[in-house]
Amino acid sequence: MALDDNALKIKLREWKDKQRRDDLKYLGIGAASLLAFLLFWQMAVKTGLANERTLPAPSAIFETFLDKLTDPDPDGNTLGTNIFASLQVSLSGFFAALVIGIPLGLCMGWWTYADRFLRPIFELIRPVPPIAWIPLVVVWMGVGLKAKALIIFFTTFVPCVINSYTGIRLTNQTLINVSKTFGAKNFEIFHKVGIPSAMPMVFAGVRVALGSSWSTLVAAEMLAASAGLGYMIQYGRNVARADIVIVGMLTIGLVGAFLAAMLQFVEKRFLKWKTTR
Amino acid sequence: MMNLEEKKKSGLELFLYWGLPILAILLVVGGWLWFAISNPRLMPNPLQVYERLIRTFTRPVAKVNLFGHAFASLGRVLMALVFAWVIGIVLGILIGWSRVCKAVIGTIFEIIRPIPPIAWIPIVIMWFGIEEFPKVLLVFIGTFVPLVINTAAGIGLVDKINIDVGKIFGGNRFQILAQIVIPTALPSIFAGIRTSVSSGWTTVLAAEMIAAQHGLGALVTRGWQGSDMALVMVAVITIAIIGAFLAFSLNKLEKWVCPWTK
Repeated sequence: MALDDNALKIKLREWKDKQRRDDLKYLGIGAASLLAFLLFWQMAVKTGLANERTLPAPSAIFETFLDKLTDPDPDGNTLGTNIFASLQVSLSGFFAALVIGIPLGLCMGWWTYADRFLRPIFELIRPVPPIAWIPLVVVWMGVGLKAKALIIFFTTFVPCVINSYTGIRLTNQTLINVSKTFGAKNFEIFHKVGIPSAMPMVFAGVRVALGSSWSTLVAAEMLAASAGLGYMIQYGRNVARADIVIVGMLTIGLVGAFLAAMLQFVEKRFLKWKTTR
Repeated sequence: MMNLEEKKKSGLELFLYWGLPILAILLVVGGWLWFAISNPRLMPNPLQVYERLIRTFTRPVAKVNLFGHAFASLGRVLMALVFAWVIGIVLGILIGWSRVCKAVIGTIFEIIRPIPPIAWIPIVIMWFGIEEFPKVLLVFIGTFVPLVINTAAGIGLVDKINIDVGKIFGGNRFQILAQIVIPTALPSIFAGIRTSVSSGWTTVLAAEMIAAQHGLGALVTRGWQGSDMALVMVAVITIAIIGAFLAFSLNKLEKWVCPWTK
């Protein structure tokens, strides 16, 4: 028996080693292909295959990036200021929508009367794509922080409500019946059974909302703003600075990915109980 | 949950059940009227919107009536979708199925992925101008990304046991892919298609709002810049109706294509 155990352990270690070697190998292939891509791009620009004015080389883009950290030219803000401006708008709208949207969706899913009253209003807002709100809100409220935050609010609000609603509707009826048998009040069941069981769905909604709010923000800034990453890329296009545009695009992508990673971290902490089933 | 449907409803309950939605709609209409009357420059009243709607047919904007603008937008979305479906699904299968492909294509894709399609607008305009092609390309970018992500994720969901069974029965790699992996991934692929349509519909509006002659997004910009809020409202309502219709028909289609998802 002991021998078998040892043999098994050795096999396991061999298998794990092979896995690790495979992981390294594919990581290497990935890095190599990325490097090849960048190299090809650089060569294409240097040999004149691509126009340097519309597609600058990766090295030039990197230089612009370093430059942009301290230099406010040409759009009047450094990269840090632009990131900060964008984050301020998107996060204020985003959190306002979370605070209002999630409880609203949960209530709509739990109490029939709340559903009957709020549903028609919600169904009117729902199909309007977030971008279509931009002109209306800008005309109503101008181009300030509040107007843009309101646009982000609409964007975030819809998926939050839908997912909270669906999530609490999917609460296991058995759990509700058990709570009833033990004499829980309706509100107590809502609070202690309904809400926790809706949480995974709610987080899925928040994840969707985060992505779409970030992209709507870029659109809002491109159409009406005086700072922010969307403004920066739009301005870069107007003055024909492709390097500024590409730096802006990559920064938008990077910040978006960072926000998504943060959310995933929070989700893991919040839904710890779910993974230990 | 309060199972109102199961209980016999009393008079008051019945009154609330039907009265509340009616009250909600009245509140919305009343709110609109109040806002329109107190700020006639910011918000047209429903009657003005209706008149403006009629006027898009009698005096077409940019020589095209409302249907023409709607079809211009839909046509762009459709053209981009055809390409995105083919290329996106194939690429997603490659990334999900082969580790080499994942390492080579996936790495580059991961850099492009988090950039929202709208952020591509300036660079695409710099590269290709404001003709028809750049707009379709933008919609393609917007629809292509969710398809690749969903397809690759769906392929990753396949149970290892099913693949092993396929191997034991002597299936080659292609047969396993076609008969076991893809059917399992179909619901996920379809979710990608659904996302791609709604994202395409949003992206085409953004692209048209920034530079276009025809299309619903162009109507919005035209009304906005000409302080013609009634036209903006007409365009926004049309956009919402078409968006809702697209979502509805895709739901029906999904039930028909993969009835095993709930």
